[in-house]
Amino acid sequence: MKISSKAKLAATLMLGTMVLIATSIGWADAQVRAAVAEQQRCAEIAGALNNMRMVTFEYLLNRRERARLQEQAAWQRLDRLFTSPIALDEAAARILANLRSQGEASHRLFSEVDAAKPGAGAADEVQRRFETQLSSRILILQQDSLVGAERLINDAGARIDATQRRVVLITATGLAAMAILTGVAAWWFRRDVLAPIFRLELATREVAAGNWSFELDVGSDDELGDVARHFDAMTRALRDSFSQLEVSNRDLVALNKELESFSYSVSHDLRSPLRSMDGFSLALLEDYGDKLDEEARDSLQRIRGASQRMGRLIDELLGLARVTRAELKIQEVDLSAIAEEIARTLTRAQPERRVRWDIERGIVVRGDHQLIAIAFQNLLDNAWKFTSKVGDAVIRVGTRHEEGEPVCFVSDNGAGFDMAYSSRLFGAFQRLHHEADFPGTGVGLAIVQRVMHRHGWSLRADAALGRGATFYFHPTIRAGREDDRREQDHLVG
Amino acid sequence: MIEESKTILLVEDNPDDVALTMRAFKRSHLMNPVVVVRDGVDALDYLFSRGAYAERAGASLPTLIILDLKLPKLDGLGVLKALRADPRTALLPTVVLTSSKEQQDLVDSYSFGANSYVRKPVDFVEFVEAVKVLGLYWLALNQFPSR
Repeated sequence: MKISSKAKLAATLMLGTMVLIATSIGWADAQVRAAVAEQQRCAEIAGALNNMRMVTFEYLLNRRERARLQEQAAWQRLDRLFTSPIALDEAAARILANLRSQGEASHRLFSEVDAAKPGAGAADEVQRRFETQLSSRILILQQDSLVGAERLINDAGARIDATQRRVVLITATGLAAMAILTGVAAWWFRRDVLAPIFRLELATREVAAGNWSFELDVGSDDELGDVARHFDAMTRALRDSFSQLEVSNRDLVALNKELESFSYSVSHDLRSPLRSMDGFSLALLEDYGDKLDEEARDSLQRIRGASQRMGRLIDELLGLARVTRAELKIQEVDLSAIAEEIARTLTRAQPERRVRWDIERGIVVRGDHQLIAIAFQNLLDNAWKFTSKVGDAVIRVGTRHEEGEPVCFVSDNGAGFDMAYSSRLFGAFQRLHHEADFPGTGVGLAIVQRVMHRHGWSLRADAALGRGATFYFHPTIRAGREDDRREQDHLVG
Repeated sequence: MIEESKTILLVEDNPDDVALTMRAFKRSHLMNPVVVVRDGVDALDYLFSRGAYAERAGASLPTLIILDLKLPKLDGLGVLKALRADPRTALLPTVVLTSSKEQQDLVDSYSFGANSYVRKPVDFVEFVEAVKVLGLYWLALNQFPSR
């Protein structure tokens, strides 16, 4: 059964019990009221009977007209009380009927006494005896009536008591039923709702702690059973993707190790044959140069040139691999200081060149100092190289805002390039210029791109042939680190 | 002690590199005797007069060791470690001359007690220049406690 159905059932049962209790209380209240009304009526009847007895007695003693009128009134009142309807049980109704007939008899006898007014002579004696007889009968009747009325009152009182006891009993039973119902609901709530929730909470903690094999395995078909089944399905999916991740992670670690040993052996072994090629070519040139013709010497020079170029390529490739492998040490990095230092070194190396450096001060970002320095070395080397044929070279490093986000840029007014080839710009060994015009290996921008990528920053270029190039990067885009970003905004802005 | 007796121990397994290094010595007018050994074990045998070099017992130690890192049997770092562990060779000037410019190699060499770390350039002209500076510094300029 679903939890909602159970909850509905429990609520209905509770409501039913409460309605039952309310109804029985209402019924009992009506019973008590009726009994109280009956008792009151009985008391009134007893009062009227007593009154009638008093006036009858007084009339019989003194024969006053006033007492006779009072008897009339008392009887009328009594008759009214007898005729107005009243709900009574059988025994009480019998007593009441008896009372009524006694009352009627008593009144009739009173009328007879009244009719036989005392006269004079011998007849008086007979008359008086008759009168006395009548009076005695009236008084006996009235005495009986009083006893009956008394019994009626007592019966009504007993009925009130009984009804009150019944009310107490019904209310107590109802309350007990409600207590049992509440207990059952609580037990059920504990078993079917709280216990599964505790288990679910435990499962959440277990899975969060990395226990992927934890399963709830709840068989109930209610809502919490559904939740548990979904939870198990989620854990299974997580387990699967986690084990997949572990496998690919192991592969990656192995691959990284391989790359590392590859780089190491490249660094050690690949360069020494080149050294031999260069060294022995030079030895030939030096020792037998005079015996060789121009073409042979040119060939040997070409072998040397190629060996040296390959040496540079290997070095650059190792540099690229190092950027990929290096562990990031994130800290505050002063871009301006790095750029100024590189600018000074470049200017010192070629003091004859006239280049205007325009470096914004105080650009600080969060990143890896070493990698960022490598990226800037490559960016500024390029800018320096590609402005070598421009009269008034200008190299700029600065920031600006694009759609509220700070953007750093490095720009020059050098040779630039055709944006049609920009897709090849950041690939290793991709070159957009001829070696004869601008020497290079085509690894520099690949390194820059990789440094930016490792920081989670995006890099793009904007250029036109003959009108210089600008490289933009967004040092803000750091996956999932909102506070870092805010800090960066502050630092860059 | 006369200049010529200052022996150089060259630990290098690649014959091309040996020939080129010898040529570089000659071109930079370094006339010191050069002993070439081809692996790390040979180097230690020579230094401590063991194995094939047992008859050297009592002979003087070289003035300078030029050590490659990538060697058969025992590599350059192993040689360095053994040198620095022995009181006889603990202070012997040792220059690492290798192709690698891996950061890890540099750090390891200096931690194991190398006195210098020089990278062999591909360009032979630069190589001759490097060897010349090396020889000049370690054989002529540098002062060393006498044994």
